[in-house]
Amino acid sequence: MSAAMTNEKTGNAPRGAGKKQIDRLLLTIIGYVFISLLAIVCIIPFLLIISSSLTEEAKIVENGFQLIPTAFSVEAYTLLFKYPAQMLKAYGVTIAVTALGTLAGLFLTAMTAYVLQRKDFKWRNKFSFFFFFTTLFSGGLVPWYLMIVNYLDLKDRLIVLILPMLLNVFYIIVMKSFMSSIPEAITESAKIDGAGDFRIFIQLILPLSKPALATIGLFIALAYWNDWYNALLFISNENLMPLQYYLYKMLGNMDGMRKAMVSSGAVVTMNIPTESLKMAMTIVATGPILLAYPFIQRYFVQGLTIGAVKG
Amino acid sequence: MNRHGFLGDVRKNKTLLLMLIPAVLFFILFAYVPMAGIVLAFKQFNYGGGIFGSPWNGLDNFRFFFESGNAWMVTRNTALYNIAFIIVNNVLQIAAAILLFEAVGKWFRKISQTVMFLPYFISWVVVGAIAYNLFNYDVGTLNSILTAFGLERIDIYNTPSYWPFILVLVSAWKALGYGSVMYLAAITGIDTEMYEAAEIDGANVFERIFHITIPNLYPTIIILVLLAVGNIFRGDFGMFYNMVGNNGLLFSSTDVIDTFVFRSLTTSNEIGLSAAAGFYQSVLGFATILLANYAVRKYDKDHALF
Amino acid sequence: MQNKKPFILLFALVLVLTTVLSACGSNNNAGNNTEASNAPSEGTTEPAANDGNSEELVIKMLLVGGKPIDYDTVFGELNKKLKEKVNAAVEAEFLDWSDWTQKYPLKFAASEDFDIAYTANWAFYNDQALKGGFLELTDELLKKNMPLTWEAMPAVAWEQSKVNGKQYMVPNNNPEVTDKAVLIRDDLRKKHNLDPVNSPETFANYVKTIAANEKGINAYNAKAADGWKWHELDQILLEQQNEWNLVDYNMPLAYKLDDASGKVFNVYDTPEFKELLKYYKDLADNNAWSKNVVSNKNDVWQDMKAGKTASYAQNLGTVAMNLAELRREQPEVELAIADLTPDKKKIAAISTQNGFGIHAPSKKAERSLKVIDLLQNDKEIHDLFMYGIAGTHYEPVGDDKFNATAGTPNFTGFSNWGANSPLNRKDASFPAEADAIADAWQQKVYNFDLETFVFNDANVKNEVANIGNVMLRYAIPLEYGLIKDIDKGQADLIKQLQAAGIEKLQTELQSQIDAFLASK
Repeated sequence: MSAAMTNEKTGNAPRGAGKKQIDRLLLTIIGYVFISLLAIVCIIPFLLIISSSLTEEAKIVENGFQLIPTAFSVEAYTLLFKYPAQMLKAYGVTIAVTALGTLAGLFLTAMTAYVLQRKDFKWRNKFSFFFFFTTLFSGGLVPWYLMIVNYLDLKDRLIVLILPMLLNVFYIIVMKSFMSSIPEAITESAKIDGAGDFRIFIQLILPLSKPALATIGLFIALAYWNDWYNALLFISNENLMPLQYYLYKMLGNMDGMRKAMVSSGAVVTMNIPTESLKMAMTIVATGPILLAYPFIQRYFVQGLTIGAVKG
Repeated sequence: MNRHGFLGDVRKNKTLLLMLIPAVLFFILFAYVPMAGIVLAFKQFNYGGGIFGSPWNGLDNFRFFFESGNAWMVTRNTALYNIAFIIVNNVLQIAAAILLFEAVGKWFRKISQTVMFLPYFISWVVVGAIAYNLFNYDVGTLNSILTAFGLERIDIYNTPSYWPFILVLVSAWKALGYGSVMYLAAITGIDTEMYEAAEIDGANVFERIFHITIPNLYPTIIILVLLAVGNIFRGDFGMFYNMVGNNGLLFSSTDVIDTFVFRSLTTSNEIGLSAAAGFYQSVLGFATILLANYAVRKYDKDHALF
Repeated sequence: MQNKKPFILLFALVLVLTTVLSACGSNNNAGNNTEASNAPSEGTTEPAANDGNSEELVIKMLLVGGKPIDYDTVFGELNKKLKEKVNAAVEAEFLDWSDWTQKYPLKFAASEDFDIAYTANWAFYNDQALKGGFLELTDELLKKNMPLTWEAMPAVAWEQSKVNGKQYMVPNNNPEVTDKAVLIRDDLRKKHNLDPVNSPETFANYVKTIAANEKGINAYNAKAADGWKWHELDQILLEQQNEWNLVDYNMPLAYKLDDASGKVFNVYDTPEFKELLKYYKDLADNNAWSKNVVSNKNDVWQDMKAGKTASYAQNLGTVAMNLAELRREQPEVELAIADLTPDKKKIAAISTQNGFGIHAPSKKAERSLKVIDLLQNDKEIHDLFMYGIAGTHYEPVGDDKFNATAGTPNFTGFSNWGANSPLNRKDASFPAEADAIADAWQQKVYNFDLETFVFNDANVKNEVANIGNVMLRYAIPLEYGLIKDIDKGQADLIKQLQAAGIEKLQTELQSQIDAFLASK
């Protein structure tokens, strides 16, 4: 029964009769118009980027970005893939870091969040505050850097790309809020059956939290995927450079050098398609995520509900 | 109630406490220990002394910020922008999530939801370049369109009053996909039985949205807003810097604490000064969040952050 | 409620732990560094056999810039020579252009292991030196370990690179004039029958004519706004034209080159500046540059190549290479280098534009200096370090010139400029007219007492930060003609500067200058 209900809720098949159909229709119209508008606003800049990444640099300088390439060129991509082995390695590092980091991070986030949302856990507010406090005050870059480099000695190790981002208070708290919508009765009855807290978490709570896990998992994965800052600070070994940093370095070196040349009085001239390169980088970095996205998406776009599971 | 005392409580909550250990350790190592660096805000840093050995210099590091004559302006701008972002972004994200869930077909929902995520992947550098392409006076797309219709060009980059709107819209645009995912997940978590009951009561779709869906989103909304409130005095540097850059004409309406501090310190590279500015932001944020959390607690204890 | 206590205890424990842990760390660092400040003596404890080089050492260098593709081959060669001459090898770590400003100070803060660091006035040299990042280089140390450099380096260069009277840098030895020139479209000038551009007036005429007659071209353009606090013509039209010297481009204080008393004044509060504002306003009102010039995000040189910009200002070396590039690629477009202040006094480039420092905790200070000595002044090693391997990365032309090759891009783009010296080779494709201008400038180099004066802003950091902000916010729009009423704009600017503490800054600067001149 409730499974059928789920379908009905998430689908948009008109149901009932008379005035109910009108409000359904109205909502459908509003929905399509509003969402279409948003989608258009979101997709046009991206099309602009794709097109510009395939345009000759000179034409971009002349005409600005255009939705349709005025002079087709793959120069930017050729330049990006000039050292294909490096590029593949960078993809490899990013994928490995993202996969490991997301798995570990998601598990720890969920575990922490679960404890914090347990209403019978005496110190939940205190621990919440203990975690939350770190988002308000920070000692800044230098001591954090010293910690990681001098005490933990993580410099130039793959783990430095994973560890500092393993947990994020924001994700923990959002996760906690999602989990608190799981009826307490589930924990209670399991406890009566003699299950331990950890087992309840693994066997009951995790399966019930799929939309939350998918969402937070996505966020964690995106954070790992897009991170270049940790690599910037801690990685100098070229074999450990993740994709985003590799790309950032390529572009940054060109821009940064122009500025330095002026200050130092040095004379070096370069011819680099900076504009189209920037655009191509966006595509190269986003592509794989867009391909993987639909697989995660189904968890939060489609109804998986407590009711359905209970029924 | 306190029969077993503290140790008894620990024993009772043994597993739960064990489950918290990884996270507690993590935040001690990566947040609390480095937090000692806050003292740098009151010191004149040198390499020989390091964090603790460098000489104290009282409130000297705070002077540049408060004596600049801009402290109030940039603090106000930061807070107002963040308030606008919180309101506009959340309203838009909630509306999008509800409509995606309730109103549109499966394939359309999937595709448009993916599309809405695209702006998230565009770096601020590229967003800034596109915005310049769109808005610049001589050859910008917007002005080309205006002149094609025989209208006057508008000089966006020299007119501060346009910028609050532009920045709020751009922020909403970029955060739309990310935020709506969160609300979508929250909506999928709503117990279907509630809808069934509403159905039986003869509620129409809009009543259902306003009486069941939205109230059920309150916890998520409150948490997300509270989390944002704690950072209300931190400006999104990447966004402001790449959109506005060093265009002094726009500063009156676009300068936030982070961009102001960045500009002031690019030439001096003084760790103490940036630590001082950061500390100022932290204290303000802390006070704000305590107030907000207190307010929420009064209204409903379960929805508070701590 | 009783249970609050244990929790607070836990919290306190964490805090104590925090403090203890961090304190230990800082003690360690402090320990390292105190040892380090005595390092010269330690350096001398290298086994004293013959020349003190008996133990083979690996010298670590911190360089700014992207790692060159052929780093391994070139540094392999370089190390063979260094091994032979000073029994050492160098190993470089590269801090990318994109992020060096963040990483560079961190490397010092964490006391990481490196011996030589690239440094420059624009790379926080003064700051790093004052914070104890660099080892003090005594004359003894220099004489003993850097015989070639000691011989070749002019005294002015040493003087200019002192901080608080102490030497922390081996500056580059490259006393070229780095004044700015303007690159213009000579074909357009001829098309409109204009006089050659060689003064502010002829330049204004050129720019206004282009703006009025050439659709779709910006007559003048400035680089993307990156925090530079001046109109890009200021160095030419304000500083060079009036024969002033701005003490530091982060503040609007200057003295007249020929004023022996070194009296400092606020350049924004001068009749010359007022005149210049009128000049700029006139250009702006005639659409000489885009209304959005301050927000420009494009690369000016790319714009110029695309025919969208008809002039821009840059240092002579860069515009000369631009000229050479366009001659190769688009011979139909004619560019010319315009010197708008040909008869004015010239200042030789300050030596701290590039250089090398020794990391304070380094235990290999002496050998490091020996290495720098060779990098800068040993022909063979200098060529390797600056240009790579002959025949692969460059084609030597005689003793002082080179031709670029297909391999050139594989060994370039990093700050080997610290080793600039008279041994530098010149690009053979460097345009003759640029050489002519450079030679003419060299004739007009003006030497004056204050050329070795360096301002120490330690006492007025707050004022410097705030004044820089005021310059960006009020001076830049004013200079680009974006403020309607220039008199009021100027008055506002001056008022804001006063609020930001210009007087305190000026007093501090003046007293440092007076003290400097008195000690001469």
